[in-house]
Amino acid sequence: MSRIEVMNGNKAAAWAALLSRPEVIAAYPITPQTPVVEYLTQFWADGMIKCEMSEVESEHTAMSVLSGASLTGVRCYSATSSQGLSLMYEPYFRASTLRLPIVMNIVNREMISPQTVWGGPQDSLTLRDAGWLQVYVENNQEILDMTIQAFKCAEDDSVLLPINVCYDGFYLSHMAERVELPEQEEIDRFLPPYRSQHILLDPDKPMAVDPLTNGYLLMEYRKKHMEAQQAFKQILDRTDAEYEKITGRSWGGQIEEYRTEDAQYLVFTLGSVTGAVKEIVDRKREKGIPIGLIKVRAVRPFPIEKIRAVTKGKKGFGVIDRNVSFGWNTGILFQEIRSALYGSGLELPYVSFIGGLGGEDFTLDLVDQALDSILENSKRGNRIDVSQWLWSPRKGVKK
Amino acid sequence: MSLIDTLAKSEDMISPGISACVGCNVELTLRTVFKILGPQTVFAIPPGCMGGVGVVGWDKLSGAKCPVFFPLLDNTASMLAGIRLGYNARGRKNINVVAFAGDGATVDAGFQALSGAAERGDKILYICYDNEGYMNTGYQRSGSTAKGSWTSTTPVSKEGSGGKRQHKKDFPIIMAMHDIPYMATASPAFIPDLVKKVEAAKQIDSGLAYIHVFNPCLTGWGIRAEESIESARLSVKTNYFPLFEARNRNIRINRKEKSPLPVQDFLKKINKFKHLKEADIAELQELVDKRYRFLEAMEKVSDQSFFK
Amino acid sequence: MEKDYKAPVGEGLYLINTGDWRTQFPAIDQEVCTRCGICLMYCPVNSVRLENGRFTIDLSFCKGCGVCAHECPAKAISMTREVKR
Repeated sequence: MSRIEVMNGNKAAAWAALLSRPEVIAAYPITPQTPVVEYLTQFWADGMIKCEMSEVESEHTAMSVLSGASLTGVRCYSATSSQGLSLMYEPYFRASTLRLPIVMNIVNREMISPQTVWGGPQDSLTLRDAGWLQVYVENNQEILDMTIQAFKCAEDDSVLLPINVCYDGFYLSHMAERVELPEQEEIDRFLPPYRSQHILLDPDKPMAVDPLTNGYLLMEYRKKHMEAQQAFKQILDRTDAEYEKITGRSWGGQIEEYRTEDAQYLVFTLGSVTGAVKEIVDRKREKGIPIGLIKVRAVRPFPIEKIRAVTKGKKGFGVIDRNVSFGWNTGILFQEIRSALYGSGLELPYVSFIGGLGGEDFTLDLVDQALDSILENSKRGNRIDVSQWLWSPRKGVKK
Repeated sequence: MSLIDTLAKSEDMISPGISACVGCNVELTLRTVFKILGPQTVFAIPPGCMGGVGVVGWDKLSGAKCPVFFPLLDNTASMLAGIRLGYNARGRKNINVVAFAGDGATVDAGFQALSGAAERGDKILYICYDNEGYMNTGYQRSGSTAKGSWTSTTPVSKEGSGGKRQHKKDFPIIMAMHDIPYMATASPAFIPDLVKKVEAAKQIDSGLAYIHVFNPCLTGWGIRAEESIESARLSVKTNYFPLFEARNRNIRINRKEKSPLPVQDFLKKINKFKHLKEADIAELQELVDKRYRFLEAMEKVSDQSFFK
Repeated sequence: MEKDYKAPVGEGLYLINTGDWRTQFPAIDQEVCTRCGICLMYCPVNSVRLENGRFTIDLSFCKGCGVCAHECPAKAISMTREVKR
């Protein structure tokens, strides 16, 4: 029998890791991820999880230890945030180009400077082109469900890529919610043991891993990597459906559509802010305003086809970004969505918003402002290329 | 079986044709070490000479008969720690997990990873070939380069001034101070000693084993090819690179020179030192003497029963 | 037939014909040789063979470094200039 508990996002992630039976875990603390490795090492001390546990001396080493372990063909797990993620960038990029199906939760945290520890997807979004798969989630149940599904997707023979399941620091990591824990037996049936064949360090089957490679061959490997990213789209949708059969829960696969069928206007969101935006979408609907929401889950690979399909026939859209793309004067999600829609014949009005950075709340008032702006600009046929900055007024603080 | 028989009969695990420099004693060290370790071995070669000469292979071919891979320059020890954990997870023992890394990857960039692995007791065998610099990329200085050395990043002016401004890091002692179960220095000029040490390190299963080999670099330092072994021999006979072991911080000096040769005998056959003035040579002699005295003092307070 | 790999790996042995490099080659005078084996111990390219107590040099990959001749205590090895082939 599955059981219901109250737990914060970090504990949900630790439980997902436990249920997925990783064989090697690398543990290094960083706010706001720290409780994940604390829970996991406690589970390990209590004998609830059987694995090789390495308390490493930095995140660079965490990713290096997992890369080495994965090269012997075992299932690996870790978690990190912002500064830790950027510190491990060197082995992180390589984990994907070596095609190692490592699962790593990223507890999204703003990048310094200014000095900050609070939540936001800047850290993982900035590394979106390092070759990893990236899926962003909205609540603690989804953290648990998606992290388990991540192992299955990553280890699929048509994929074989590492994957990040990203959730907002503090908003989810440190907030307790109702979470249903599936049974170990159910997950064992859902997730068979991992057996690597494509890249292996085994004296019984000697291989050189990563010989010096000429450009023509590098290009072949890159092309295969890109194709594997595309293959993930279908695998994600299929895995979500399989998981639904076991638990009754589906999260939509590449995107989640909320009240979009009869919508004329759309708002796109990423991560935990989705909860606040759904609330305001409901209030607008009560007033008869036909607005719907798309929660983008997969950022890599970007769900171009799904977004084009859901935007067809709509009259305008907006995007909420809790991150920046330096040099574009916009947020990252907006840039990707606009790019996805270009060339599809959908010449819609749009406007985008940057807000809620560095732990600044994206309040219901700000969401309301954003949705009003989407409606206004859509009706006027405006395409606003520069993102609008939204934050709550404070006495004496300049905007 | 005598050592010569062992070396003659053991399979050379490395490709017979790699593009190491003519007479390179790192190539000698590599082939000898892996003859002793045998085929149940997985090893890491970080970017550097041995990787550059083809030991990890090219395109779809390998340069070795046992599994080999390129770690990053700075994470050799970490990746190997992960590999050991992976084998542990599947209950596979009796596989040698080995690093064959240059001083750049060990003493500089890879030091954090190595120190962390040593502290955690990760069961790997880490062999450093110390040719005092980043030789594969054109002889740049490292933390292990001797003071005064010409290198491509500490070049010497026409008037003879320049060269590295700092002394060589005393890395074997640093590793010994990690209290690891086995630490040894070795030389390609003393093959029986090197072989004994590889065999001893192979037996260690209580933590990290470390061997620091001193390899004079023919091309990078300016040494005649046929003097490859002689130069290494002089480094030991002058106490510039003494041969000793450490087990859990207990020191045993393997070779005590009754009358150590002056360090000048080692330096004079090496081009990278040819601009040194008398004062520079005297300073190096003082350093050699001081470090050796320190070593002797440590041996006095060590528990020699660790070496029975 | 070259294998198709998903990830960057290599199988089989890569080798360079380093025998082509040398400008001089060694020869062991078997009358003078004391069978100490030091040449085998110090050859960087593992080119000294021991068969029935006799040491010979396999020139396939010998780079002509001259270490064997330099180290031989009996001076039984001589280096001869390679004639251009």
